[in-house]
Amino acid sequence: MTLPDPPQMQIDAVKRSPFRNLSAVWLVPLLAVIVSIGVAWKSYSDRGTLVSITFSVAAGVVPGETTVKFRDVVIGSVENVHFGPGLQTVIVDARIDKEVAKTLPADSQFWIVRPEVSTRGISGLSTVLSGVYIEGAWEPVTGSKVRAFQGLDATPVVRPGHEGRRITLRSTDASLLPEGAPVFFRGVEVGRLDVARVSPGGDSAIVEAFINAPYDQYITTATRFWDTSGFTVKLGPSGLDLNVASLGSLLSGGVAFDNAFTGGQPLTDATVFNLFVDEASARQSIFTQIGENAVKVVINFSGSVNGLNAGAPVDYRGLRVGQVTGINAYIETSPLGARIVRLRTAIEIDPQALGLDGDTGGGEVMAFLRDAVANGLRARLTTTSIFSAALKIELVELPDEAPEQIVMGPDDLPILPNVASDLPNFTATAEGVLERINALPIEEVMQQAISLMASIEAVAASEGTRAAPDALVALLEDTRALLNKEDTQALPTELRLAVADLRKVVADLQERGAVDNLASVLESADKIAADLATAAQDFPQLVADLRDLAAKAKALKAEELIDQTTKLLASADAVLGTDAARALPQDLSAALAEIQGALKDLREGGAVQNANAALASAKDAAESVASAADDLPKLTAELDGLVQKASGLIATYSTKSAFNGEVLDLLRDLQTATKAVTQLARTIERNPNSLLIGR
Amino acid sequence: MADAGTAQNPPLTARQAGLVACHRCGRVHARTDDTCVRCGARLSSRDDTSLQRVWAWLFAGLVAYVPANLYPMLETTTLGRTADNTLMGGVIELFIHGSYGIAAIVFIASIMIPVGKFVAIAYLAMVVARGDGRLAHARHRTYEVVEFIGRWSMIDVFVVAILSSLIQLGSAASVKPGIAALSFALSVAFTMLSAMSFDSRLIWDADKDAVA
Repeated sequence: MTLPDPPQMQIDAVKRSPFRNLSAVWLVPLLAVIVSIGVAWKSYSDRGTLVSITFSVAAGVVPGETTVKFRDVVIGSVENVHFGPGLQTVIVDARIDKEVAKTLPADSQFWIVRPEVSTRGISGLSTVLSGVYIEGAWEPVTGSKVRAFQGLDATPVVRPGHEGRRITLRSTDASLLPEGAPVFFRGVEVGRLDVARVSPGGDSAIVEAFINAPYDQYITTATRFWDTSGFTVKLGPSGLDLNVASLGSLLSGGVAFDNAFTGGQPLTDATVFNLFVDEASARQSIFTQIGENAVKVVINFSGSVNGLNAGAPVDYRGLRVGQVTGINAYIETSPLGARIVRLRTAIEIDPQALGLDGDTGGGEVMAFLRDAVANGLRARLTTTSIFSAALKIELVELPDEAPEQIVMGPDDLPILPNVASDLPNFTATAEGVLERINALPIEEVMQQAISLMASIEAVAASEGTRAAPDALVALLEDTRALLNKEDTQALPTELRLAVADLRKVVADLQERGAVDNLASVLESADKIAADLATAAQDFPQLVADLRDLAAKAKALKAEELIDQTTKLLASADAVLGTDAARALPQDLSAALAEIQGALKDLREGGAVQNANAALASAKDAAESVASAADDLPKLTAELDGLVQKASGLIATYSTKSAFNGEVLDLLRDLQTATKAVTQLARTIERNPNSLLIGR
Repeated sequence: MADAGTAQNPPLTARQAGLVACHRCGRVHARTDDTCVRCGARLSSRDDTSLQRVWAWLFAGLVAYVPANLYPMLETTTLGRTADNTLMGGVIELFIHGSYGIAAIVFIASIMIPVGKFVAIAYLAMVVARGDGRLAHARHRTYEVVEFIGRWSMIDVFVVAILSSLIQLGSAASVKPGIAALSFALSVAFTMLSAMSFDSRLIWDADKDAVA
């Protein structure tokens, strides 16, 4: 009885074990826990690497919101923004995808992308709405442990990881080469300029440029770069030359390059290119490029070097062999103790240009120069062209010069002897010529010529001038007629008769015994006769003069004619005014008086006639106006009648219409006009002069 | 009202009468029967695994409630700016902005009710396991309230679902449900299952035991 019970109890207890009775529902929380732990672990293990980027300012960076992007893909976000030591910098802590963080090299670039407006366009516009983000660029490496980076203040022009080549350009002035200015190759934009900086020596500006990958292969040692900023205007012997590269580069500046010759060598990293001011000088530079092993020489010019600039060519027999590198002054104490200011011009001479081997050392070039100087090689200043004041240095061979040799200067640079140039004379001559040309009173001459022309025109156009020839001809006719008159021709006969009469009287008187008195009377009579003869001799002279005048008048040389006419008239007047002429018989005097009268008429005649004619035509005009004015009252009456009729007609229409009003206005205007015309006519009638005088 | 009846005149229960009802079809069998003769379901007078399942669901709900509070409920993107809102962060933000009413609703629906449910279910389960029969009526009412109110916690999930389906205006504005939305929904579902798994008859068993 008691045996079966205990084992049953034990079995129940085992059966009631919580594990045996475990519900399957427990799988759910278990699963939830596993999933939660899995998610937590994953999110923890996926959590990015914390890197810190140091910026000078962190405008717009918001912890938790600002993202970090690489190639425009979000790779992380900013967790914290705090200040660096001494509040000098802002350190942005960003959590970046850990796989990406492994590829970050120490020189990774990070910058804050903000909206930016420049001549190159607008960038970062999307950040206006979404806020700024941090963009990164780097050349991926593996297994990097760098966690602190220096951020950039602005978007870099050239991003690491870009295929291409970085080159260095040297220029004297980088004012037109802003950061990001384009680099063109045959008009295609192939790269960008980086920030310009001043070279360590401070004597030039250095601009780094980045040429994108497929185009960097075109850059060799034969490549020349030039500035395409702005535009160039050049006035030369070939005319006006205007060169504008593109509107964009006009605004933003730019650089272009090309290979000046074929067969350039591949670049070494240290190659520095000179930036030329324009394409022409860049292409020309292949003849002027100074090799790296150029020999430096110094020339001490005694005179002024005004017009000589650094970069000015050094020619030898017309071939460019070097260039001026600098001009400065220094004080030399002469053996006597006086201090003299010397101008020292430093030049570079390219051995290659002199025909020596390019690899020639300085010693060989110096040996060559020593020989050449011993044979009379001298430096001389000369102008580059007759149009410019720019100077260049010419190496000339003057064997007749006193022998000199190259000596070493104070700073171990050889001094090349020089000769004085005849430069100032030439300049003076040229200037003298120009000044003389300048001093010519061209304007005055022109003024006088113009006024002469004007007066000639006035004289020729005046009615008097035109009338003069006719009047003169008439005068001559009159004169001739007078001279041909029987009376005049009979004059000598009459005179002779008078003489005969006198002789007869004298004979009578002699016979009457008054011989002495008679003799004196005869003497005086003789004298009179002689005087008369003289007068008669003068007369043909006058006629000849008049003929001459007539011939000239016919030729119609207006000014001369007038002058001579006046002169002739004066002389004619004078002749007629002489005692001898007055002593002529009455007829002759009368004739001469007539001539005088005729001459007077001639002087005044043209003008009077013209005035008369003008007055006559004015009178005609006045008469026709008067007759027209006679018609006016009639016209007025007709117009009045018309107005009356029209008024009557319109009155039959509705009186208040707008048409009515307008027509009435019009008619009233007509009436007023008619009245004015009538008034005018009356005024003219009363005072015809007003038409002429204009009052 | 029921308290008085229980204390003075406890009614006869099916268990005391040696009967058991089928869970599925409701047919009453003798306690000795193992399966329902009508529908074939397994018969049991008390659910032995009830408390186990209550604890299991409750635990799952608690696990899901942790990420629901830590992760963002809503990811709102306005003009390119993305803002994440957690449950409590949203409540605080609403409160700061002066929307006290809405803040209160969200707080009650998302924080108070779930937490209250966890506490209430755990309390009931512990009490029943210990066999403490006091306050059986109050506990039963608590259970009923918990079961009834549990579904209202879903209001938050509905709001997120509606917002994220309505506000999709491209880059101007968009709303995405966060991880917390899913976690919260799971948490609410788990606690509801937990409440349903609770066999309320156990309350009365303890009461009866206590009285007996």
